[in-house]
Amino acid sequence: MAVLDQLIELTADGVVYSSIIVLGSIGLSLIYSIAGFANFAHGDTMTVGAYSTLVFFGILGGTSISVLGLPLSFFLALLSGIAVTAVVALVTERFVYKPLDIGSIGLLITSIGVAFVYRALIQIQFSADSRRYDIDRLRPIEWLLQYNIRMTEHDIAIIASAIVLVVGLHLLLQHTDLGRKMRATADNPSLARASGIRVRRIELWTWIIGAGLAGAGGAFLGLFNQLVPRMGFNLLLVIFAAVILGGIGSVYGAMLGAFLIGMVVQLTPILTSIGIPIGSEYARALAFLIMVVVLLVRPQGIAGEAVGGGG
Amino acid sequence: MSESPTEGTATDASTERAAEETPGDDEERSEIVLEVENLRKEFGALVAADDATFDVERGTITGLIGPNGAGKSTIFNLISGFYEPDAGTVRLNGDDVTGIEPYKIANKGLIRTFQTPRKLEGMTVREAMLIGPQRQPGESFHKLFTAPGAVGERERANMADVERILEEFEIDHLARQPATDISGGQMKLVELARAMLAEPEILLLDEPVAGVNPTLANKLADQIRRLHEQGTTFLLIEHDMSFIMSLADPIVVLDQGSVLMEGTPGEVRTDERVADAYLGGGGV
Amino acid sequence: MADVSTLTDPRGYWGDLTSEERGVAGFLAAAVLVLLALMLTGVLNPTYFLFLFGLGGMFGLMSLGLNAQWGYTGLINFSVAAFFGLGAYGAAIMTASNSPIAGDMNPIFGLVLGLILSAIVAIAIGIPTLRLRADYLAIASLGLAEVVRLIILNEGQWTAGSQGLRGIPAFFEGWPVLSTLPETLPQVNIEVIPGRVVTLGFPFWRQLLNVTLVLTFMAGAYLVLRRAHRSPWGRVLRTIRADEDLAKALGKNTYFFKMQSFVLGCLVMALAGVFFAHLQLFVNPGNLDPTTTFYVWVAVILGGAGSNRGALFGGFVVVAIREGPRFIEQLPPAFLTEFPPGFLRDLAFITDDVLFELPSIAISPGPLQLLLVGLLIVLIMRFRPEGMLPPQRELIWPDAVDENVRKRPDSGVREQRGGDGDE
Repeated sequence: MAVLDQLIELTADGVVYSSIIVLGSIGLSLIYSIAGFANFAHGDTMTVGAYSTLVFFGILGGTSISVLGLPLSFFLALLSGIAVTAVVALVTERFVYKPLDIGSIGLLITSIGVAFVYRALIQIQFSADSRRYDIDRLRPIEWLLQYNIRMTEHDIAIIASAIVLVVGLHLLLQHTDLGRKMRATADNPSLARASGIRVRRIELWTWIIGAGLAGAGGAFLGLFNQLVPRMGFNLLLVIFAAVILGGIGSVYGAMLGAFLIGMVVQLTPILTSIGIPIGSEYARALAFLIMVVVLLVRPQGIAGEAVGGGG
Repeated sequence: MSESPTEGTATDASTERAAEETPGDDEERSEIVLEVENLRKEFGALVAADDATFDVERGTITGLIGPNGAGKSTIFNLISGFYEPDAGTVRLNGDDVTGIEPYKIANKGLIRTFQTPRKLEGMTVREAMLIGPQRQPGESFHKLFTAPGAVGERERANMADVERILEEFEIDHLARQPATDISGGQMKLVELARAMLAEPEILLLDEPVAGVNPTLANKLADQIRRLHEQGTTFLLIEHDMSFIMSLADPIVVLDQGSVLMEGTPGEVRTDERVADAYLGGGGV
Repeated sequence: MADVSTLTDPRGYWGDLTSEERGVAGFLAAAVLVLLALMLTGVLNPTYFLFLFGLGGMFGLMSLGLNAQWGYTGLINFSVAAFFGLGAYGAAIMTASNSPIAGDMNPIFGLVLGLILSAIVAIAIGIPTLRLRADYLAIASLGLAEVVRLIILNEGQWTAGSQGLRGIPAFFEGWPVLSTLPETLPQVNIEVIPGRVVTLGFPFWRQLLNVTLVLTFMAGAYLVLRRAHRSPWGRVLRTIRADEDLAKALGKNTYFFKMQSFVLGCLVMALAGVFFAHLQLFVNPGNLDPTTTFYVWVAVILGGAGSNRGALFGGFVVVAIREGPRFIEQLPPAFLTEFPPGFLRDLAFITDDVLFELPSIAISPGPLQLLLVGLLIVLIMRFRPEGMLPPQRELIWPDAVDENVRKRPDSGVREQRGGDGDE
């Protein structure tokens, strides 16, 4: 019974954490397949989102009206943070990645430099100390506690916002011309180019959407934990694990992979409870091992088809 | 296999020959260097190789032709171990080499070239040539330190071979050029010369004259003939019909992944099915 | 310090350099002169300088190791820090005073353990990852490096966990002569500027011994790697880097070659770790921070992939970047009032009271290093992706060519070529 209680409790945390990973993974997966390289700056893009939300929230200040324990101004700040992150990504794409002619490995290495620059600038402005949004921490919701679920309204807000964003993306991908072209390009960039899709436009939208979602994920990560300059970098590998598990280039695969990896990371303590001696300190290690195994046995990921894996 | 009439499928021919050879003559090496039997490879819904069966006899220059998408390159990749077949077998000198790693197949005497060789950045032509020789002691890390003399000795011998073969190919003036600076046609010559350094029993050439100017193409053809006379067996894919018709005998015609026919250049030229296949496949 | 053969035949060596190499050599000479001047005038503590030089050698070693993987074979190894850490921990476990399993042993055993550990882990990581596509290898190796770090952090019964291992002796402890040499050497006073006496005493000699150690490691690694690079073995690696399928088609077991290149590189990285343990005399899991990996990458890219000398050069430049900000911070305040450069102040475009508390000495060294390294990566990739000292010479086993092996291709990449300088 104790194990079950623990499972419920951890699952609740896992869902929140997974929501954040989902937001990070979608962009990484899209950029991987459409821009054609593993973007090691994606984690730090999330950090940019977190800190720009912090800046805007500081300017706007708290408001009396609040939704799910969050002042309305926080949501405004969040939207502004998303916009700033998208702009930062676009500027980076235009002035750093675009002029390069060095292949995907060169771009990969360059993105590490970009990640360092993002992180360094943030650390210069905000110091390495941790910060929080100026919002009161909430107690877990009472009526959920009777089911042993410890969730705050903030957690609910994170999950709900992630769902809104993901559904929005889904509608975009399924029901708009841009979305269809994005999926086609992600599936097979060379075929898309050959069939006359204006890939440049798709690329730019990919950066906007990918970075925007990452920015939102970063802001929520700041709400879930706290803000530190390394927050995104620390999450990067977990997001890679999610993207690879889901299959690079597959948006829905990334969502599924992110959910699973998020759950694995958060549910690791259960292993000790059921007698497997792997402590929660190895939660991330477990995620990475899953990633390596997936790369070996099914590089196209769980959701990808053999062709879409890009192998 | 050249005598097999246009009617007889390649399968019949190979089974006949297999039957002839089973008894006796062990000391004499098999007359068939390469045996391809019912080779099959699917990519999703696309069947790239569909029960392809043919043989390459020792001492021949066997051509492999077919319209675009007929599966020629797939067959090459299946033979040389770069693809794993879904079904079928490949035998090299009677040994089953189906699905084993490319380097092992190469070690057994089958060397292949690529349609579009990538330039070896940072190497000169003679450096690039020196990769060809097999079983170099200097390729074993510890011997660099335990037996530097032997490494140097072999390297000197290989160097001499490189110079000799570059001269034979009349490209010795390129020896010290960066491998990235030479023309596509010269690169093809270098590739062929390098492949010869591996002392192959059978050499698979993937479009040796694609994108090569006619003068160089003739030179390549002369070299292939010369090497053939010296005893190398060839299997080659080529789009240039006059090139392959003048060089290869017999010729295996592929269509949609399987062997349509095989025969002498004359037989292929006059065969209606071949004409149909090429017309259907979008012309020669 | 750029090349050992500089020492053996300076004139012939110089004559045979490309213009870039001369540029880099000139830059290094200038740097040495400046550093010497700083030391003689007492601005830079000579002992501290030797410490920095030791760090430079350490990064140079790691870069050599990575160059043997990325530069030779094209393997993207993002687990440099893990192998560095394994070397350091191997040394520490055998020699540290608080080591939970061994401890207080002769540093030679630490060296051996460090190398064995890293070889085993290299094979274990290599088996699954070396079959992967290049960019997957990057991600997977970074992930596995993190696993190594987590194990060292959490398996305190072997590694003393987060508190780290202390009381590591100097490398030459227990050796005849060398063990006590720093104490026996006399104290030397140098007075170039009247009133500013520079004293070279026990700490200086001790650091000098460390520098000797790292130079020995470097020379050893360099000679082994250079011979390997010029051999048929190295040629196969370079072929794999350019076109792995071609190498396979010519009968080379590329997986095995990649494994050898990977393990060899990891051993050199571990050697750097062993040196570090005896330089710092203390190791903790923080030494496995992945940032180190990327510093080493910067060194190799800056030096030029495939160039051993470039890797060494890059290693020292990276230390200058890492330690430069720290050094600048120690300069007198008058120097610093102008230091937080204008562009950083301009960045404070939303100069809100709470959000931006730019103190007068704005930047702690951490982020400035990070910024410089990040910018350096972006700039190199943009303007000089081949690095400062890209390899330009034919690499053929030396005694197999009758002519001078150093000759570049006839119509090579560089315009002028020096005389017949030999080895």
